Amino acid sequence: MLLDYDRLGWLRVALVGFTAAVAAFLLLPVVFIVLLSFGSSRWLAFPPPGWTLKWYQQLLADPTWIDAALTSARIAAMAAILAVVIGLFASFSLVRGEFRGRQVLRGLLLMPMVLPVVVFAIAIYAFFLRIGLAGTTVGFVIAHTILALPFAIIPITAALEGFDKSIEDAAIVCGASPLQARLRITLPSIRIGIFSAAIFSFLASWDEVVVAIFMASPTLQTLPVKIWGSLRADLSPVVAAASSLLVGLTLCLMIVTALLRRKLST
Amino acid sequence: MTRPFLSIRAVRKTFGAFVAVHDVTIDVPKGEFLTFLGPSGSGKSTTLYAIAGFQDPSSGDVLLEDRSLLSVPPHKRNIGMVFQRYTLFPHLSVAENVAFPLRVRRRPDGEIKRKVADMLALVRLENFADRHPGALSGGQQQRVALARALAYDPPILLMDEPLSALDKKLRQEIQAEIRRIHRETGVTILYVTHDQEEALHLSDRIALFREGRIEQIGTGEDLYLRPASEFVAGFIGNSNFLPAEHLQTADGASTIRLAGGSIVTGVKATTSFGQGQNVRLMVRPEAFRLTPTPTSVALAVEIVDTAFFGDRRRVVARTAGGDEIDVRPTSDAEVGDSTATSGQRIFFDPASAFLFPA
Repeated sequence: MLLDYDRLGWLRVALVGFTAAVAAFLLLPVVFIVLLSFGSSRWLAFPPPGWTLKWYQQLLADPTWIDAALTSARIAAMAAILAVVIGLFASFSLVRGEFRGRQVLRGLLLMPMVLPVVVFAIAIYAFFLRIGLAGTTVGFVIAHTILALPFAIIPITAALEGFDKSIEDAAIVCGASPLQARLRITLPSIRIGIFSAAIFSFLASWDEVVVAIFMASPTLQTLPVKIWGSLRADLSPVVAAASSLLVGLTLCLMIVTALLRRKLST
Repeated sequence: MTRPFLSIRAVRKTFGAFVAVHDVTIDVPKGEFLTFLGPSGSGKSTTLYAIAGFQDPSSGDVLLEDRSLLSVPPHKRNIGMVFQRYTLFPHLSVAENVAFPLRVRRRPDGEIKRKVADMLALVRLENFADRHPGALSGGQQQRVALARALAYDPPILLMDEPLSALDKKLRQEIQAEIRRIHRETGVTILYVTHDQEEALHLSDRIALFREGRIEQIGTGEDLYLRPASEFVAGFIGNSNFLPAEHLQTADGASTIRLAGGSIVTGVKATTSFGQGQNVRLMVRPEAFRLTPTPTSVALAVEIVDTAFFGDRRRVVARTAGGDEIDVRPTSDAEVGDSTATSGQRIFFDPASAFLFPA
C-alpha cells in the first residue's frame, strides 16, 4: 500500500507526534478538571497549592447534587430501555422488512443524530409546553429516548445484518414458533449489539445537556444541567468534582462494554 | 401398489411472471433417498422449501401420509432440515443445539439427555458435546446440524446442498456418513444438490430438474444408461455429442450419417425421427475403444492429444466433421495399447450410443 506505516520512514515520527498532540488536545482539559477537583485552591488555580478531598465531601453532602445525579441515572436508564426496545422493533423492520420507503424510514430514525441539537431542543420544548409535558420526567424521558434512538438502532441493525436468517429458519424447522425462535435464538445471538445499544443510549442521555436545559425545571435537574447552572452561579471546585464523577462513570461504562464484548465474542 | 409416503402433487411456484416450479409431481416411498439434482435456478431448492414450509406453492399440494402439509405452519410440520449454510445456534453448545428441538417440544430432561447422546454418537461427535459451534470445522458443524435435524425422529429429512461449502475430500467423507446414517435410521431423505457425482453416490432415485420441471426421474443407472433427453445425457456423466443426419429406423435400430460422411447402423432409437432429420449422436467417453470389438463400428479421427492419468488414459480426438471427442478407454489392455495404435481410428458399439433430436 502507498501509505504503509512500516515504510513511512521519518514521517512516522511526525505522524506519531501529530497523533499524540491531537489526543492531548482532546484529553488534557479532562485531565485538568480531574486534577483541579483534588486541588485545595478555592479559585481553581493551577498548579494547586495542595491536595484535598473536601470538594468531594461537599459534593456528597449536598442533597441537590445527589438528587441531580440520581435524576440523571433514572432518566438515562429509562431512555436506554425505551430506546433499546423501540430500536429492536425498528431494526427488525429495517433489516428484514420489504416495504417501500425503508431507506427513508432509516434516515428518519437516525435523524436525531445529525439534526442540530438546539433546533430539536427548541422544537420539542415548544411542543411539550403546549401539551403540558415540559419540566416533567415523562417529557424528559421521551426527549432523551428520541435522541438515544440512533445510538440503539445503529448497533442493533449492524448485529442483525450480521446474523444469518437461515439460523432462525433452522430454529423454526426444529419446532420453535417464529416468536420463540426470535426470543431464544435470534436475540441471544445478537446480544452484543443489544448490549452496546443499551450502553450507548444510556450515555447519550447521561451526558446530554442542551435538551436537558430546556426540559429541566427547578425541581427536575440532571447532573449536566446542575453543572452548567453551578458554573454560571459560582465557579466552585465542587463543579470539577461533579464533572470528574460524570467522566468517571462514563469511562467505567465504556470499559465494562469493552470487557463484555471481548468475553461475549469468544 | 401401496400409497406413497410423501406425495408432491402438481406443485407450482411463480414469482411474478417467472415460473420457478412448473407443476412438479413426485411420489416418494417411505425410507427412500431421493435427490433433486439440477443446475442453479432449476427449481429444486424452491420445491424443497415448499415442503419445509418456507415457500407457499402458488398451486398444487404436498401430502404426507395422505394429509396436506400446506395448512401446517413450518414449525409444526415436524420435518428435519439441514441447510446449505451453517445454521448452528452460535450461543449454544453442541449438546444444547441438538437438545433444542426436544426442549421446544418439552420432552423430559432424562429423555433429552439420552437422545442427545444417541444423536452425537450417530454423527460420531460424542467428544464435542460441550464445544461451541465457533470451535468446530465446517464438516463437524454440518454433522451437528444433521444430529439436530434427526433428534426428534422426523419422518422426512430435507437437505439443501449441505456439503457445498466443504472441500472435496471432506465432502466425500461426509457423503459416506450420510449414507451410513440413512441406512441406520431408515429416514426418508430429500436431498438437493447440483453435483451429479454426489447425487449418483447417495441416492436411491434422482429427479433431474431443468427450468422448473422434472426432466427425468429414476435411479442413477436409469439416468446414466437410459437418458431421456440430451439434457440428461449432458448433465449426468460426460458425453460427446456428434451432429448427424437420420436415414432410417427399423426394428428399433437407426441408421445415421455423421457430419463427416461415415454411416453408422444399429444405433438404439428411443424416439422416432423422420428421414433426413438432423439428430445428435451421444457417445459416453468410456464407450470408445482404441481397438475394434466384434460389434463395434469405426470412426475415422485425428488424435489431437493423449494424456496419462495412472488408472486411465484420456485421448482427445477430432472427427472428419471437425468435432472434438473426449475418449476415455477403460480396459487395462487398451490403456497399454493406446500408444501402439496408429491413432487414426477409434471404435464404439452403436448399441451404447443414443440419438437425440438436434
